[in-house]
Amino acid sequence: MSTTQEPLFSATAIAKNFGGVQALRGVDFDVVTGEIHALLGQNGAGKSTLVKILNGVHPAGSYTGTIQLDGRPVSFASPADARSNGVGYVPQEIEVLEQLSVAENVFAGRTGLGDGMLVHQRKLEQRAGEIFADLGIDINPRAYVASLTSAQRHLVIIARAIVQKPRVLMLDEPTASLSGTEVDALFSVLRRLKAQGVAMIYITHRLPEVLAICDRATVLRDGQVAVRIAREDFDAETFIFSMSGQRLQRLFPEHSAPVGAPTALDVRHLTVAGHSGAVHGARDINLSVAAGEIVGLAGLLGSGRSEILHGIYGRVPADGEIRVTGRTVSIRSPRDARAAGIALLTEDRKRDGLLFNLPVGANITIGNLAPLSRHGMVRGRLERSSILAAMSALNVKASSPQASVTHLSGGNQQKLLFARVLMRAPKVLLLDEPTKGVDAATRHEIYRLVVELAEKGVGLLIVASEIEELIGLCDRCLVVADGRIVDEFGRGEGGEDRVLWSVTAAQAERHALAAQVSS
Amino acid sequence: MNSVAEVSSPPRNAQLFRRRLIGFIAVGEVGVLAAMALLIAFFWLLEPAFLSERNIRAILNVVSFVGIIAIGQTILLVTGEFDLSVGSVAGLSAVVAAKLMTAAALPVTVGILGGIGVGALIGLLNGLIVVRLGIPAFIQTLGMLFIGQGLIQVVTGGYPVYPLPEAINTIGGTDFAFGLGWSFAFFVIAAVVADFVLRRTVLGRNMYATGGNQEVAHLVGINTNAYKIGAFIVVGALSAIAGMFVMADLGSGGTSIGSGWELTVIAGVVVGGVSLFGGAGTVAGGVVGILLLKIVQSGLVVIGVNSNWQQIAVGVIMVMAVGLDIVRRRYFIAGA
Ligand SMILES: Nc1ncnc2c1ncn2[C@@H]1O[C@H](COP(=O)(O)OP(=O)(O)OP(=O)(O)O)[C@@H](O)[C@H]1O
Ligand SMILES: [Mg+2]
Repeated sequence: MSTTQEPLFSATAIAKNFGGVQALRGVDFDVVTGEIHALLGQNGAGKSTLVKILNGVHPAGSYTGTIQLDGRPVSFASPADARSNGVGYVPQEIEVLEQLSVAENVFAGRTGLGDGMLVHQRKLEQRAGEIFADLGIDINPRAYVASLTSAQRHLVIIARAIVQKPRVLMLDEPTASLSGTEVDALFSVLRRLKAQGVAMIYITHRLPEVLAICDRATVLRDGQVAVRIAREDFDAETFIFSMSGQRLQRLFPEHSAPVGAPTALDVRHLTVAGHSGAVHGARDINLSVAAGEIVGLAGLLGSGRSEILHGIYGRVPADGEIRVTGRTVSIRSPRDARAAGIALLTEDRKRDGLLFNLPVGANITIGNLAPLSRHGMVRGRLERSSILAAMSALNVKASSPQASVTHLSGGNQQKLLFARVLMRAPKVLLLDEPTKGVDAATRHEIYRLVVELAEKGVGLLIVASEIEELIGLCDRCLVVADGRIVDEFGRGEGGEDRVLWSVTAAQAERHALAAQVSS
Repeated sequence: MNSVAEVSSPPRNAQLFRRRLIGFIAVGEVGVLAAMALLIAFFWLLEPAFLSERNIRAILNVVSFVGIIAIGQTILLVTGEFDLSVGSVAGLSAVVAAKLMTAAALPVTVGILGGIGVGALIGLLNGLIVVRLGIPAFIQTLGMLFIGQGLIQVVTGGYPVYPLPEAINTIGGTDFAFGLGWSFAFFVIAAVVADFVLRRTVLGRNMYATGGNQEVAHLVGINTNAYKIGAFIVVGALSAIAGMFVMADLGSGGTSIGSGWELTVIAGVVVGGVSLFGGAGTVAGGVVGILLLKIVQSGLVVIGVNSNWQQIAVGVIMVMAVGLDIVRRRYFIAGA
């Protein structure tokens, strides 16, 4: 992509201050027609802040600097204002209207479809259906959003931005909760938009994606542009170095499965009922995790991976037998699971991770207060010191334990939740998308942490949508399709192709079976 | 200031002062206290009799009754629910206690325990229905408001219950100091204990978590249903106690005890910074809010404002207080 072309959308000398925190310090940024411009940087570098300014979430007047569209200065008072100027936005945090249908969410704010006051329910559903078909998404437009998984919700807000037919489209970590095939579908849509001349700003922490579809990259560091990189010079190592100023020797720390270790978690005939269309449940799951072993659950969106974790943790009703370090335990609620030594890190930080009404410190200790209290009273000094210890052990960056969690960057929120689940020293740790929205350096820290825990004898069961991540990190991978385990392989015995192959084979088998039954 | 390590290095003095100031203003109760001081000064300048001993005593006396309920309502709001039936429960418990002592001729203690039992039982019922059947608290407790009012009539036949045993009149007539008796003493002690529980105990922390996000609280192993039901029971029992104190004060089990209190209590605690959405607010704040509301009402009476305008003032103050609270949160806590 030639950068001599006139920029379609540009920002000059953008600076933004949040009550003392200088999030951006004079950033110049632009996109040209038909370009996908990657915006990279560590957690808290200021990427989201920049696109929120470009999109009117932080309205004109709350920052300094100028924005130009088509060479003319513009200032947006709100996202709606930006939208009417042809600037679309997919926010990092999923914002959906839970009580409305998928179609209504896709057309939120425009349910009249431009002609009059009435809502054309059927037309909305039909149009939403067409867009989903286009995106290769398998979601019923009439389903209620409340019943969707977080990945599906994310697809809904992506569709919402795309139906506006924007000229400039900003995507803030659109793939954070998507897995391989959905990402591929999204990419083919983005390529088509690109061919139509849409200018796109693409934020991600997944560097292979940048290599795959971006034309240019700008790296932010501490609110400033660290470097601009043209496609010819793309290289994962360069990205990481310019984001963090560090060189990583090895992406995945070394670890090998323990030999002859006792079983930490043993699951027999676990069945989780599916509910409300979008969530399919899991059937007759048998798996075991040895102490010190890292086991991955691979599969596509909606295959039942999270349901398996939730079933083990007692979050959803499940049948089956669960043994922890050899003892049979009856788990009917998360409380039981925790008492048995199982901990769960949930996938959606906003919905079922953070407590936004409590400060950073209390978010870490919630549920872990028993050892920090005497006669039911919290021991303030002890709590504070253990919070500080946990924060520095995981390198959580927050101004103090009293800081609000709302404005922590995504990666720091994730580390905070890690600190919460680790405080109890669990024997079995279930991780659902542990690196979602986390920058490369932090990811590396999380991988190290996982391996460290394994070395201490914790059994880990991990769900991640990035298959390379599972393959690199796990001693053993189980492939889940349609709520069943369809394949299993050890470290070095397979890669991404094997996962996709077994998923496809399982689906083909099921279709053949269905055909047999119906004939 | 972005990391734990940086913070421990001493920041410059001006910055430190600024931060302290912001931190101070960010404390919920400070705004309400400042507003209260201004209002007191205002009424006093217009009419010095506002600060007469008699008037102060009258205000504190009323606050001691509704304040007891406000304590419970604050706790319940923190766990993410609320109760509109508090006034009815107060009235019903009072007349039941009165009937037990008179018509049934039971000892005074049994009567009092019976009254508290009625309140706690209604709270339990409200809690079970809201939590287990998933009926919204608004509907359930609104229904209970009417049921309670009806039951008051059923129990009393529409006539106040009196004379009450001498012991009750003694409780009502006790004057520890400054004309304040048992109800005020109970109110102060209950407020201090409840404030401590919310601020400092595991129980309190778990309540904030429950009100902040029930799903998260459940996932970290908190029995959110038990906390909610427990809070409903506390509100019921405290409403009953408040109702019986009014009964002792009046010397009779009147049928109008508690009527209209539900909205006063909610308006008051909201003025004091307790969130209607759960998970935020303190007992100290709620109590100060109620006090502020009563000061305004009394002040308007003292300076001779028509009673219709008093109601209007209460409405305006409540909306303004919540508006100010939102602004305060946005500018001082979020720092945006
Ligand atoms: N509304 C806000 N109020 C106060 N501080 C904020 C606010 N929004 C962002 N910040 C701060 O500004 C800085 C930049 O945050 P931003 O969300 O832009 O980071 P990011 O690059 O998008 O990170 P991530 O990759 O984790 O999403 C952080 O230090 C963050 O804490
Ligand atoms: Mg971001």
